[in-house]
Amino acid sequence: MSFAGIDVGSLTAQAVLIEDGRTPLLKTIGVKLLSKSIRVKPNPLDSARTVMGQLLDEHSLSWGDITYCVSTGYGRDKVQGEGLAQENVSEISCHGIGAFTIAPQVRTIIDIGGQDAKVIRVNESGDLVNFVMNDKCAAGTGRFLEVMSRTLGVSFEDLGGIALRARGKIELSSRCSIFAETEVLHYLQKGFDKADLAAGTCKSMADRVMALVRRVGWEKEVMMTGGVAKNVAVKAELERVLNLRMFVPHLDPQLMGAFGAAVLAQKAGAAL
Amino acid sequence: MKTMGIDIGNLLSKVVILDGDKLVASGIMDTTGNVASEIDMLVSSVLLDAGFGLEGLDARAATGGGAELLRGLDFTEDEVTCVAAAGAYLLPEINMIVHVGGQSIASILINEDGDVVNFMRNDKCASGSGRFLEVMSHAIGVGIDDIDGVVEGAEKPVSISSQCGVFAESEVITHVNDGEKPADIVAGLCDSVASIVSAQARKFTEGDKYTLTGGVARIDAVRGRITQKMNGTFYEFPHDPRLAAAVGAALLAGMEEEEE
Repeated sequence: MSFAGIDVGSLTAQAVLIEDGRTPLLKTIGVKLLSKSIRVKPNPLDSARTVMGQLLDEHSLSWGDITYCVSTGYGRDKVQGEGLAQENVSEISCHGIGAFTIAPQVRTIIDIGGQDAKVIRVNESGDLVNFVMNDKCAAGTGRFLEVMSRTLGVSFEDLGGIALRARGKIELSSRCSIFAETEVLHYLQKGFDKADLAAGTCKSMADRVMALVRRVGWEKEVMMTGGVAKNVAVKAELERVLNLRMFVPHLDPQLMGAFGAAVLAQKAGAAL
Repeated sequence: MKTMGIDIGNLLSKVVILDGDKLVASGIMDTTGNVASEIDMLVSSVLLDAGFGLEGLDARAATGGGAELLRGLDFTEDEVTCVAAAGAYLLPEINMIVHVGGQSIASILINEDGDVVNFMRNDKCASGSGRFLEVMSHAIGVGIDDIDGVVEGAEKPVSISSQCGVFAESEVITHVNDGEKPADIVAGLCDSVASIVSAQARKFTEGDKYTLTGGVARIDAVRGRITQKMNGTFYEFPHDPRLAAAVGAALLAGMEEEEE
């Protein structure tokens, strides 16, 4: 029996399969968890069908092998409506349950995705207590880092490393991604160091994230998920301000939503 | 009296020369990181147009980011005061100026004497600004000067839901990829800018006679939509609306000189 989670995000779509009989669940993480990530298609249904289809193919499985599937993310209701999933759950709940399953000591989850940023508080049972989300403004989301890496002419993946190796830091005065882009261009024209600007960019990113964290508060332990968790400079700055070490799961942080959905699928499927 | 006004805008820098209140010469260039040195070239070329040298000027004033770095000025003044001065002097009947610059939107209330009574300004977010329009029109592949021509062919404006420039850009690209007509997307974009700008200006309910300044006012499609959404009477700025702050600086330089 396989339990599945599908998460269609703004930039990437993820599918996760949990094979039954491989308990305890914790051991399956990073070992027998089957997962797949793709760039999104224009339509969430296509994304869901493609990502899960590819994952199944890679492991010589078929849609019929899925006992129960939970969809989350954009168009989660449509994915369920098409019969690709039996249930749809908000990405906030999926993230919460995914993070809590991996690390039950986690009370605060900072999830910074490509097009939104969320801070989720869960209690000792893993239930959602409170959350705050920004999906109106690109500042403080992965998009900001994407725009800025493009302006700096470095890859999104390298930005954090370059920032950590910088000798100085040029702090940006603009919060708005579009203005920050112009600001950085002007600095580059004046011959300022790219690494120092990368450091300023990551600092600015962390400042926006902290502004969001302060709106709901935080409690130990803190987990960071989403694509931006891979940026070492942003993570280091957040840890400095929070004065703690954040827990970043071995599981690819981008898979958290789909993983949480698969965990919920396993719970629902086991009750069938 | 001959005066010069310089405006270092976020996107464009402008230089004007006035003889009394008559515009004698003007020039516009892109603002770069090296604007403090590059502005001298623009000053020289505008003086050449005017037909006299620096010594022919009675006063010089500047406004905008980094204006204080320029040499040989009599004084610097903030942008809001300069725009207000230009509006009040050239259009004595108005009581509000709505200024949409490269990186800001400002609504400025003035009294009968042309003094600033109150103002609102958004310069933290690109939403609705000239830069916003520039980024979007670039994504559609329509130059900012071609917007009016393109928008004429619009049949059904595509509405744009994101206010954030970065997110709106993605939205626009999706519309392009979905095969929406550029004219319809551009029309939606003009609607969007007009809504953002008028939403701010309409908060000043007492501002019932207004003008529009800044580069966005040059685009008929946006200007028309803003005036439709506003309640008061619109008065057209008599010069290129991008020059408003520079003209205001030059006017203030003249007034200052007269007092001395």
